[in-house]
Amino acid sequence: MRVLLCLLLLLAPVQAWAGDLVVEVRGADGAPVRDAVVTVYPASGVPRGPIKFPWPLTVAQQNIQFDPFVLVAPVGAAVSFPNRDKVQHHVYSFSAGNRFELKLFGKDESRSVTFKAVGVAAIGCNIHDQMVGFVKVVDTPFALKTGADGLATIRGLPAGAATVRVWHPYLRAPKNEVSSAVTAPASGAIRQSVKVDIRAPAGGHMH
Amino acid sequence: MTVPSRLVRFTSLRGRLTVLYAGLFGAALLLTAVAVVFSVSNNARRQVESELTAGGAVFDRIWALKASQLADGARVLARDFGFRAAVASGDAPTAVSALTNLKGRLSLDRAFIIGVDGSVTGAADIDEATATSLWYALDSGQLGGVLQLDDTAYQAVAEPIMAPQLIGWVVFAERLDRKEMRALESLASIPLSAAVLSRNEGGAWRSTDTGQRTDDRLVKLIEGNDQGQTGRPRRLDTPQGEAMALTKPLTVIGEKSQAALVLRYPLDLAMAPYRSLMLSLFLVGLLGLATLVAGSWLLARSITRPVSALDEAARRLRDGGEVQVAVETQDEIGRLAASFNAMASGIREREGRITTMALTDQETALPNRRALEAALAAEAPEDLFVAAIGVDRFPQVRAAVGYRLAGEMLRQLALRVVALRPDDLCARLSSERLILMMRADCADGALEALQVLVADLSHPVMVDGQTIDVGLSAGLAAVADDHPAPAVERASIGLDQARAARRPVAAFDAAAYGDPASKLSLMSEMLAALDSGEISMAYQPKHDTRAGRVTGVEALVRWNHPTRGFVAPDMFVELAEETGHIRALTRWTLQQALADQALMRQAGHDLMMSVNLSGRMLGEPDFAVEAIQMIAAAGGRICLEITETAVIDNPQQALAIIDQLRAAGISISIDDYGSGLSSLSYLKQIHADELKIDKAFVLTLDRSARDALLVKSTVDLAHSLGLKVVAEGVETAESLAILTGMGCDLAQGYFIARPMPLDGALAFLAEAAAAADPQPVKPARRA
Repeated sequence: MRVLLCLLLLLAPVQAWAGDLVVEVRGADGAPVRDAVVTVYPASGVPRGPIKFPWPLTVAQQNIQFDPFVLVAPVGAAVSFPNRDKVQHHVYSFSAGNRFELKLFGKDESRSVTFKAVGVAAIGCNIHDQMVGFVKVVDTPFALKTGADGLATIRGLPAGAATVRVWHPYLRAPKNEVSSAVTAPASGAIRQSVKVDIRAPAGGHMH
Repeated sequence: MTVPSRLVRFTSLRGRLTVLYAGLFGAALLLTAVAVVFSVSNNARRQVESELTAGGAVFDRIWALKASQLADGARVLARDFGFRAAVASGDAPTAVSALTNLKGRLSLDRAFIIGVDGSVTGAADIDEATATSLWYALDSGQLGGVLQLDDTAYQAVAEPIMAPQLIGWVVFAERLDRKEMRALESLASIPLSAAVLSRNEGGAWRSTDTGQRTDDRLVKLIEGNDQGQTGRPRRLDTPQGEAMALTKPLTVIGEKSQAALVLRYPLDLAMAPYRSLMLSLFLVGLLGLATLVAGSWLLARSITRPVSALDEAARRLRDGGEVQVAVETQDEIGRLAASFNAMASGIREREGRITTMALTDQETALPNRRALEAALAAEAPEDLFVAAIGVDRFPQVRAAVGYRLAGEMLRQLALRVVALRPDDLCARLSSERLILMMRADCADGALEALQVLVADLSHPVMVDGQTIDVGLSAGLAAVADDHPAPAVERASIGLDQARAARRPVAAFDAAAYGDPASKLSLMSEMLAALDSGEISMAYQPKHDTRAGRVTGVEALVRWNHPTRGFVAPDMFVELAEETGHIRALTRWTLQQALADQALMRQAGHDLMMSVNLSGRMLGEPDFAVEAIQMIAAAGGRICLEITETAVIDNPQQALAIIDQLRAAGISISIDDYGSGLSSLSYLKQIHADELKIDKAFVLTLDRSARDALLVKSTVDLAHSLGLKVVAEGVETAESLAILTGMGCDLAQGYFIARPMPLDGALAFLAEAAAAADPQPVKPARRA
């Protein structure tokens, strides 16, 4: 099933009626920004049907950190929280619509949470203040987080106008998100650069 | 010394020294005092500075401690899971209850939450603007410091609430009140005062505990500090005096607010412990100054007292006093005093010698006139007399024996005087005169005593074995007599008068001497009197013995002086001759006589007018010309009466003038014939018309056969020379009869008529003319 999904994704770029969008996210200092979530909403609307992403919907607790720091998850999906540390964790989120609280006392203990609301769920650990993570709950299949090079390549985007949104937990903007318009090509790729203002997280937690 | 002497003129050395020493010591004292005050106050200031700095450090510690206490409490709350859940989920009642709970437990003044969205929970009094301002402050990381809410200042600490992202801040605050400040003050070792001052944007600085507005000077200090000046203690002027102040800016929660800690300490208090030290220093200095003034006064006095004594002695020496200064020391001043004494006695000695010389006659070693006059001045003038004793014919004696022996002779005479009258002072007046100051009860007694003395002195003097016969005369004058000339002079004149009178002794005769000064003034008065009418003419008729009537008058000058009374013509005429005023007098007389003669002629009396002419006028040829013109102009008949002596001085000229006058028709009469130096040779030379026999012969004519004989022979002599004869001084009928018998031509005298003014003369002439004709009769009236 997972292999099939991968194949499908690999095939998508070669579709004749769709093009690719390369979004490059850089900070004010010009450095590439990682863990920025790019979501694209074509003007023609997002395709119907369940959304599948090729990465595992898992937020592990490893080395007293959440891994990954940012997870992009489709709305309604269940995300598992495995504890790979020897210590106990008490994972919670007070984010509206996605409140949960998991007391994970044992190693390799795993629980899952279903994120029902589109938006951002900030997750923390009641025991370890330095542990902060984010689950970006999306309602579009065209979503991807930037890598260390600050690039996110959205493939198979239907040709025509679309809205590109870039979110980052420390992006300095309302709801930590900026949006811009783009016209997707019928074939090939276009590049969209987004400059964002990233600041230190309030409360002294830095990642 | 130059400075004070320029500023003040010292009249005494003592004052100068005292002021100098006192000034120097005072200056030193002042410098010391300034140094002490400066170092003491510097010390005090440094101490205060270090205390303030320490206080500032303590405050910093306390502030940090408090902040950390508050932060601990806030953190406990901010980390509480339930609290975070309540805040994150918007469960305000739960959150507030948690805040209240902790507030009570930690005794906090304020505890509230500011959400990331700017909402405020747990503090209803915070309005939106304050909340927004607070949000910005918190958002920019100002999580501790002074928080100003309304008018109240707090020390506040904010703690972020992480869930896990920042969802807000818990703010804990404690009021900065007096209690807090007192706690801080109690920690300092000196009683400084602490205050936290704060202000809102644009507001005034206020004390957080009392709310009072802050003094401007302090504000300046705080703001100066804010502008980067170092946070060292600095001087501050307060209404209570100078103080030291340390200001420390404090962090604030709030964008535009400011706050500062101010620690103050009045310098007065810092100086207080030193005050008694400075007071005693001042007193010691004062005492030292007083001691120095007294000491230098005494020292200066010991120096200047002998100098003052010398100064005083020099003054007395100048005034001629007897001066000796006590020599008290062996130093320079002592030697000066000794030298001064030597000088003073030297001066006295020389002065004595000079005085002696000045008062002594060098030739005879007798006192001189000055010495006698000094003695006279020292004596009471009553009953005091001065006698001048002179050697008769002294020049001849001196020529015979020589100057030295003549002087010696006078000395011998003086020794005799001294021996005879030991109580009197005898001095030498001139080469031949001695002068004697004597006392007597009265003038007669003095004269008698002098006569005795002169008699006793008048026997030969033995000089160098030679006997010199001396004749002496003496004059006497009373010192007390009221006379302008000094007594010595008067006595000397008295001596001259005695010699003139050929008497051995005479008292000074003021009347005989006259007064040269009054004579001169009489002359000027005479000139004025000629104009004013005080001098007038009187006319004495001349009786023609053959015709038996008056045929002429003699014009006589009369002067009725307003104060002197009747002035004798002899006197002022003689004076006028001596002083050269005779010409004016003669001119006036002649004019007056001519004018009056004209008046008489108008009244029907054609008379010969006789006018006396001074012999002096015969020495002036131009006078003859003037007189001839005057007489010719008036058409007068004039006979000029002159004396024989008039021609003695310059006979040739005088006789020529007489001839000139006669040639002009003026008669000449020889006056006062028979008295004085009547000489037949003059009688021969003077070509006169008339001879006037002196009244000395005529007055006694009726009683003296000798006089009658003389008159008779004179009448005959004159007639034989072709001269008419006039007799004056006819006072009796017998005389007139005798003269008539002798053939005398004219008679003049009281028997005929006295001299009369013009009016009287005219009346007399009119009466005589009426009663007469042709028989000559005795005049009816005797004036």
